[in-house]
Amino acid sequence: MRLELRWSVVDDLAPGPATRLAGRRLEVDVDGLRALLAADSRLTGVRLDLVHPGERCRIGRVFDVVAPRAKLDGGEDFPGVVGGVTRAGQGTTLALDGVAVVATDQQTDSVGTLAVIDMAGPNAELSAFGRTRNLVISAWPAPGTERSDYLAAVRLAALKTAVCLARTAREAAQPDRVEVFELPPSPRVPPELAHLPRVAYVFQIHSHQRPTGVDEGILYGDPVRRMLPTIVHPNEVLDGAVLRGFMGRSVTTWATQNHPMIKALYAQHGRTLWFAGVVVTVAQATEPERVRSAFLAAGLVAHTLGADGAVLTKIGGGAPHVDMAQAASQCEALGVRTTAVVEDMSTDGSAEGMLLFDLPGVDSLVNIGSSQEPLTLPAVDRVVGADDLAAKLLGETRATYGGLCGAIEQVGTTRVMAEVR
Amino acid sequence: MAARSLRVVSFLNQFFGQLGGEEKAGVGPQVLDGAVGAARAVQQALGDAGTVVATVVCGDNHAAEQADRAIPELVALVAAARPDLLVAGPAFLAGRYGVACGALCAAVQAELKIATVTGMHRENPGVELYRRRVYTVETGAEATRMLAEVNRLVALGLKLARGEAVGPPAAEGYFARGVTKNVVAGASAAERAVSMLLDKLAGRPFVSEVPRPAFPPVPAPRLVKTLEGATIALVTDGGLVPRGNPDAIEALNATRYGAYSIEGKSSLDAAQYDNPHRGYDTTWVKQDPHRLVPVDVARELEQSGAIGKLHETIYSTVGVATTLAHSARMGREIAEKLREAGVDAVILTST
Repeated sequence: MRLELRWSVVDDLAPGPATRLAGRRLEVDVDGLRALLAADSRLTGVRLDLVHPGERCRIGRVFDVVAPRAKLDGGEDFPGVVGGVTRAGQGTTLALDGVAVVATDQQTDSVGTLAVIDMAGPNAELSAFGRTRNLVISAWPAPGTERSDYLAAVRLAALKTAVCLARTAREAAQPDRVEVFELPPSPRVPPELAHLPRVAYVFQIHSHQRPTGVDEGILYGDPVRRMLPTIVHPNEVLDGAVLRGFMGRSVTTWATQNHPMIKALYAQHGRTLWFAGVVVTVAQATEPERVRSAFLAAGLVAHTLGADGAVLTKIGGGAPHVDMAQAASQCEALGVRTTAVVEDMSTDGSAEGMLLFDLPGVDSLVNIGSSQEPLTLPAVDRVVGADDLAAKLLGETRATYGGLCGAIEQVGTTRVMAEVR
Repeated sequence: MAARSLRVVSFLNQFFGQLGGEEKAGVGPQVLDGAVGAARAVQQALGDAGTVVATVVCGDNHAAEQADRAIPELVALVAAARPDLLVAGPAFLAGRYGVACGALCAAVQAELKIATVTGMHRENPGVELYRRRVYTVETGAEATRMLAEVNRLVALGLKLARGEAVGPPAAEGYFARGVTKNVVAGASAAERAVSMLLDKLAGRPFVSEVPRPAFPPVPAPRLVKTLEGATIALVTDGGLVPRGNPDAIEALNATRYGAYSIEGKSSLDAAQYDNPHRGYDTTWVKQDPHRLVPVDVARELEQSGAIGKLHETIYSTVGVATTLAHSARMGREIAEKLREAGVDAVILTST
C-alpha cells in the first residue's frame, strides 16, 4: 500500500474573503466556515479564533487537536466519520504543516481538569501546539443535546475544518515536500533484507474504562465497543482511519495522524528492521476480556505477522497501562521481544509507584513522564476557548503536565520523561 | 561575583575525628572547633567556597546504641554552629557510622531546615535506610580515595546549600532517592522505544527508563479452619459506598476507606448505594452492587451453612491512582480491624 502526503508549509494564518492558500499564508473565510459548522443542529453558536505562536495567549478547555488533511485521490476524508466508509491509507493526501485545528469542550467546568495550550513562554516550548498557528473552535450545545452527541458534533466540526483548510492546497503549484509511506504485504521480504528483525507495533486505540457513545467513531467510524485485536496497515492510521475517543487524556488525534511510532518504524524499515505491521487493540474493562485481548494481540504479532519484536503504547490511565503490559507479556511468552511506552503512574512522585505491574519479560520500558507533576501557567494577555473562565486562566495558574495539551502524548510524540532522582 | 562563603559543619565518628579506634567507640557527642581529622579533607574540598566552622564527633557504639538520645544531642551541637551545610562522613562501608550519618542528616534537614549531604558504600545499611531522604554520594568501601570522594560530597553539598539545581543520580554520583522528576529527553519516546527494542533484539545492553517495582510477594495464608466454621468478610477496592458517600472517599487517588454495616441485610439495594470510582465503567455495579460485593450469595452460603458466618461489616475504598503508601496503610488498618473482629478469611474483590 502506498500513501503520499503532499505537505504545504503555512507560516501565516489570517482572516480573508475566501479560504485559500496564498503562498505560505493561509486565509480563512471565518464567517463562511462558521456558517458551515453552525449548520449542525446539535450546536448553538460557533466561535472561531485564530491564535499564533509568540502571542501571550492561552487556549482553554482543549478537547482535541486535528491536523489539516484532505484526500486528493484514493479515498475519503476521515472515512466513517466525515466521508463514507472506505479504506484509508492509499493515494494522495494533502497536508498542511504549521497549522492545527483546536476543538474546545465548552462543558468542561473544572479548572483542575481542563487542558490548555500556551502560545508563548516555557509551556509553548513543551507542546507542539504552542508552535503551530491554531484555528480554535468553540461551540456550545443546543438545548437538549446529550454530552456524547455534543462531543461528536464538536469533533465533527474540527474534522470538517481540517478538511476545509487542507483543500486549499489543491491550488498550490508545488508541495513543499512529499512524504511517501509504502509498505508491501508483510511476508514479502526481499531475500537480501530477510536478516532484519521483524518489528510490529501494538497500538491501543481506546480504553473501555468509559463506554463509547454511539457517534464516538474511533476506527473507521466504529465506536469499537466489542473490538478484538485486529491488524491494520500503518498507512490507514496515518490517513484518518483512527481517531481519538472523546475522553482521552494525553492523546490527540493530531498525534495519531502524525503517528510517531509508525513514522519511527518506517524510518528504520529496510535499514535496521522490517516493519511487520500494526495491531490495533482496545484496553478492556474486565479481567477475562483483558486476558483474551492480550493473547489474541500477541497471537497476531507472533503467528500472523511473524514478528521478532514489538513496541506497544497505551491510551488512558491505569487499566490500559496494565492491559498493555499483559499484551507485552503474552508477546514475550511467545518469544517476541517487547518494549512498551508507559506513563509514570505514581501520584506522589515516588519511583516505587511508577509501574502498576511486574510481569515476566516486560523489562524494557520507555516512559513519557508524569502527567501529575505540577506545572505553572504564567500570566497571559488573552484567553480563548474559555471566555467565562478567563478571570482564572489569565493570571498565573497551577496546572499539571497532563493539563498542558501536547506536553505528553501517550503514542510517544513527546520528549518529556520522568527521571528517577 | 563570588558566592558567599558558607559555614559548614562536618560530622565524623571517633576514628575519623581522631579520638581513637574501637576502644573510643563509646564516646558521646562532642564538638571541636574548626576542621579536625577527616574534616580537613572537607575544608580542602571547600577551598574558598566555605569554612568548616566545627567538627561534631560521636562514637560509633554510642550513636548506634543510644540513637534516641545521641541524635537530638548531635542536632543541638550542629544548630549551635549555625551552619549552611552539614557534611556527614563519608562513612564508606562502616555500618554504624553510615547509619548515624543518615540519621543525623535526616534530623538536621527536618528540624533545622539546613542542607545536608553524606557519602557511603552501596552496601552500607545507611544507604537503604536514608537515601530517600538524604542525598547520599556513593563512595568506595575504604578511605583510600578520601580526597576525591570528599570532593564529590562537597560539590553536591554546595549545590544543595545554595539551592542550585541538582542533576540526575548518575551525573552527581548520589544514590537515587526514589523520586521522579519530568525532564526533556533528547529524542521522542517513540524513537527511544524503537531504539531500545533494537538493542534488546540484538542482545545489546539497554537501560529501561522505569525501575522494576520491588513489590514484596505476599503469600496467601492458609485457612486453618474449615469454611463451615469460618467468619468471612467482604472487602473491595471497587468503590462501593452508601448513597451520599458519607466518608467522602475520593474518586481518584483515595486516602480513605469506609466500613459499612450489612447487618440485617440479605442483599444490597442498588438504590441505597453509589460508586464514585473513576477508574472503570461503573454502570453495571451501580445497577447491581452484588456484581462488586456479593452480599446476596454470601448470605445464601451463610444460611446453608457452607460458611460459618458473614462478617457484618464490609470495607470499601477506591483503588485508582492510589499511592503505594496509602494502599499499604489502608490495607494494614483494615486487616487489623478484621483480625480484632475475629474474621478468618476475606473475599477481596478488585476492579
